Amino acid sequence: MSTQTPPPDLRSLVAQLRERLAQVRLGGSEAAREKHTSRGKLLVRDRVDRLLDPGSPFLELSPLAAYGMYGAPGETPVPSAGVVGGIGRIHGRECVVVANDATVKGGTYYPMTVKKHLRAQTVAAENNLPCIYLVDSGGAFLPMQDEVFPDREHFGRIFFNQANMSARGIPQIASVMGSCTAGGAYVPAMSDETVIVKEQGTIFLGGPPLVKAATGEVVTAEELGGGEVHARRSGVVDHLAEDDAHALAIVRGIVDTLSRPRTAAPWQVREVEEPLEAPESIYDVVPADVRTPYDVRDVIRRVVDGSRFQEFKALYGETLVCGFAHVWGHPVGIVANNGILFSESALKGAHFVELCNQRGIPLVFLQNISGFMVGREYENNGIARDGAKLVTAVACSVVPKLTVVIGGSYGAGNYGMCGRAYDPRFLWMWPNARISVMGGEQAASVLATVANRPDDEDFKAPIRAQYEEQGSPYYATARLWDDGIIDPADTRRVLGMALATCANAPVPEPSYGIFRM
Amino acid sequence: MIQIRTLLIANRGEIALRVMRTAARLGIRTVAVFTEPDAHALHVRAADDSVQVPSYLDVEAIVATAVATGAQAVHPGYGFLSERAPFARALEAAGVRLVGPSADVIDLMGRKDAAREVAERAGVPVVPSYDPEADPTTFTFPVLVKAAAGGGGKGMRVVREAGEYAEAIAAARREAAKAFGDDAMLVERYVERGRHVEVQVVGDDHGGVVHLFERDCSAQRRHQKVLEEAPAPGITAELRHRITSAAVDLAREVGYSGAGTVEFLLDTQSDDFYFLEMNTRLQVEHPVTEAICGGVDLVEEQLRVAEGHPLSLEQGDLVIHGHAIEARVYAEDPYAGFLPQAGTASLVRWPGGAGVRVDHALESGQVVSTSFDPMLGKVVVHGPDREAARLALVDALDRTSVLGLTTNTGFLRALAASDAFRDVGAPGGLDTAWLDRVDIPAELPAPTDEVPRVLAAWTAAMVRSLDGRGTAYVADGFRLGADPAATTVELDRPVVVHRRPDDTGTVDGVEVRQLSAADHVLDLVVDGTRVRAVVDARLGLDGRGVVEVAHRGQLFRFTPPDRLAGHADDHDGDLLAPMPGTVLDVRVEAGQQVQEGQVLGVLEAMKMELAMKAPYPGTVTVVDAAVGRQVPLGHVLFHVEQAGQEGTA
Repeated sequence: MSTQTPPPDLRSLVAQLRERLAQVRLGGSEAAREKHTSRGKLLVRDRVDRLLDPGSPFLELSPLAAYGMYGAPGETPVPSAGVVGGIGRIHGRECVVVANDATVKGGTYYPMTVKKHLRAQTVAAENNLPCIYLVDSGGAFLPMQDEVFPDREHFGRIFFNQANMSARGIPQIASVMGSCTAGGAYVPAMSDETVIVKEQGTIFLGGPPLVKAATGEVVTAEELGGGEVHARRSGVVDHLAEDDAHALAIVRGIVDTLSRPRTAAPWQVREVEEPLEAPESIYDVVPADVRTPYDVRDVIRRVVDGSRFQEFKALYGETLVCGFAHVWGHPVGIVANNGILFSESALKGAHFVELCNQRGIPLVFLQNISGFMVGREYENNGIARDGAKLVTAVACSVVPKLTVVIGGSYGAGNYGMCGRAYDPRFLWMWPNARISVMGGEQAASVLATVANRPDDEDFKAPIRAQYEEQGSPYYATARLWDDGIIDPADTRRVLGMALATCANAPVPEPSYGIFRM
Repeated sequence: MIQIRTLLIANRGEIALRVMRTAARLGIRTVAVFTEPDAHALHVRAADDSVQVPSYLDVEAIVATAVATGAQAVHPGYGFLSERAPFARALEAAGVRLVGPSADVIDLMGRKDAAREVAERAGVPVVPSYDPEADPTTFTFPVLVKAAAGGGGKGMRVVREAGEYAEAIAAARREAAKAFGDDAMLVERYVERGRHVEVQVVGDDHGGVVHLFERDCSAQRRHQKVLEEAPAPGITAELRHRITSAAVDLAREVGYSGAGTVEFLLDTQSDDFYFLEMNTRLQVEHPVTEAICGGVDLVEEQLRVAEGHPLSLEQGDLVIHGHAIEARVYAEDPYAGFLPQAGTASLVRWPGGAGVRVDHALESGQVVSTSFDPMLGKVVVHGPDREAARLALVDALDRTSVLGLTTNTGFLRALAASDAFRDVGAPGGLDTAWLDRVDIPAELPAPTDEVPRVLAAWTAAMVRSLDGRGTAYVADGFRLGADPAATTVELDRPVVVHRRPDDTGTVDGVEVRQLSAADHVLDLVVDGTRVRAVVDARLGLDGRGVVEVAHRGQLFRFTPPDRLAGHADDHDGDLLAPMPGTVLDVRVEAGQQVQEGQVLGVLEAMKMELAMKAPYPGTVTVVDAAVGRQVPLGHVLFHVEQAGQEGTA
């Protein structure tokens, strides 16, 4: 392996990321987009831009969802899973936006579309953010109904979430800007306040073809569930808009009248200080190959305010760097890998996570971990017991947790470092990241040993190839294992926006399960 | 001989300030008078002392104030009491010196017939007049036939040949008799293409009179001067000598003391000139004379003379230095029929720099009302020659910005830049009737709103980007792994602005490079052209609001349409019974035209009388109501087809 061509550097990985993002952000085919705009409709990302305060940043969630899925190898027929989700500001207030892209398969819900929609709702629920749904969807993608309809975290969960968020006082606002058919009709119907675009938006449980099949009644879509019908007769919507821009203006007006007081951040927010080093210099200190060691403090220095880092237990358990800092004025406790985890590092991490919970300080995990140390000495000394302490502390944390996979994410290291299963408020990956239960080489060896073919290259090669493909951050982000792949130079900004977002929800009192002693 | 230690200024605005500047330089204490709305005006603040009076025209109060404040003299400025002989007499009686000529001279020159006689006595040419009853073949045509009692163009005819005379004067008489009840006629030589040339004179109590050359004020509209300059362009030394000598002769004839202006009509075809009138005061446009006379201070000279000193000026020492032009900035909208404008001048920027003098009394935040003269200030430029001065004026007007209030600055700028003004004194140059003759919006078009919209949008986006400063949600358009998103700002229509971190970008696709932006002054290169403007953006969180741009002197105000306002076309024209009830009244018939809001009928229901009103102007096509009839909920009582949309429903 080491004799092969050197891996691409971080800059070229970022260039590739930007290229892929630009591609999926186009949406559907040129013909589909042309058809969409020729009807006077705005493209989905233009809708989002016009919905947000002019110039508002937008923390888009998983723009590469469904990347490489649902088509021939190398193809992405459902870019961004056909839905745009993220957080931006409307009238100065952070809101979650979920907007269907009708140029992608008519905005129908593929399994990843459902997962992405639910993920956006989770972000809203965890952070107390109003939800804006810009609906333009034909409903479930019928050929894959078994993967989108019946299960707990399938289509129906969208409405379950709407009802429960509304119950918690989290505003649910919908604007129907195209089709809104079948189950999808419940998005506006379940919303607190709903807008529809005249002669463009339609809402019905069964469309004209289904009505004809069921009852023989012949009816146009507009007569069945157009804006005029719902605004004047059915009462399904509350506002009738002239066009997309008007609808978005009405939605903005609704958000402006929510008049929920902005709760103070649950922690002390300071004046912002730029780091001493430019964000782009991160490319020069991080090797693209996750197997090349480097000092994670070089990353921290480029992420935190004033490059100031108050390190905790610097001389103990040195493979895990812990310490306090501020990011965009918000206090954070940073837990960053600087080698594999030993007992001491796990104990130090558990202690530090407890400290942050005690003090109500959000946690940032910079994950680059090949795993816990293995071997007789370590097992006999109870590394599993110490690892469990770290996992317990992380699992039971009540402060917001933000995870960035900046390198490898392997095995139990993923757990201790707040992988997706540990409910970080957000999780991002760098384009050089790798994620799998173990390395491809190790997996191939283990499986070859189990199969009693330890030296069989023909046996090991496909295993290595599988791990290579599935360990890619693009494979991960396509399946919503993260909230997106980010440019390492944007890490500080993304963390800052996430912290400001998290500050909308109060932090409960901490309590823990049993720490095995 | 007196010494002026305290000077009362019986005026307001820029002229009061201008007089006070000289007084202050000479160590003279100043007293301002003001009326209630001017209590905090600039001239009140600039004066050493100030006294409220009922009116700037109140002779008794102002004379009493002069006496009470111990003023040795009163400077009347221009307008108000400056040419009122009774005021001069009242001051004389109170022992206070008027800075100006005697009451008798004011009286004499204030009467047209008397002034004409003085001119004739002094050998100054006057417009030839003829006996209306004389043989028209003895006249030099064209002639102007006008009612002796006339005004407003009624009873006025231009006659170009003797054959037309009889008919014209008869028609004019009829018109005059009808309009004024008096058919007495005057017949004068008509100057087809005339220029307004006036000579500045100053005389003292000792018989001394000098002239300070001439000014040209041909750029005028309805006898309101617009641009004034000195010296008059394109006149020969010989003509200058004749016309200035005539003015001096006239002043000597009346024993003129103080600063005065003798106005002439110059026939551009023959170089003949005729005395029009004499203004016995300091003129609005005196700064152009000061500029070309090497910095002579006419107010200082007036005060010297008022103290009884002989003139400090020797005719032989006076020479013309370069050229000066003045532009009068008014609160009026030349592109809307010169309608007077009122409001708050939210942001005011006057130009400065070498060769530019601005006499004004307008500061940011000042309320401009229509109660006083609408002149806000005067922009005066001086250059080595006329063309240099003219280009400097264009530049100075480009830097003259009044936001919040429409002014004529854009029009002044267009006029200063026009060929017609460039060519004054040469073929094709404008004459005194030019501005009244041409179609102003066509001949001197205001700049279009395209570049101003770019400036407004760029500023609005810039202002927006400051939102959320100091937080990670700063409105810089951040997007993951991509260039920042465009900012759409809502002006009169949505405009898409891309701003790059290096201060370049696009506005609706047009390339923009920002050179500087500070303190409301924006300096951009738009599509390769350097543009400078004063901009004020008052935006809400949503990027909507008012953006004002003063570009090339013209004010542009961009206001977003109210998207959330009710849409009349939301109404389908059916007027339904909102509840079951009884028809009380039916006021229209089918086919009838109705206005928006017109009551078509009245329904009584639930103890209420409900007026059914037309939702928009149009035609009633359905009347399904009769008095006394019971109607159910939702019954269509009337239907109105919207005007202009008949048959399309």
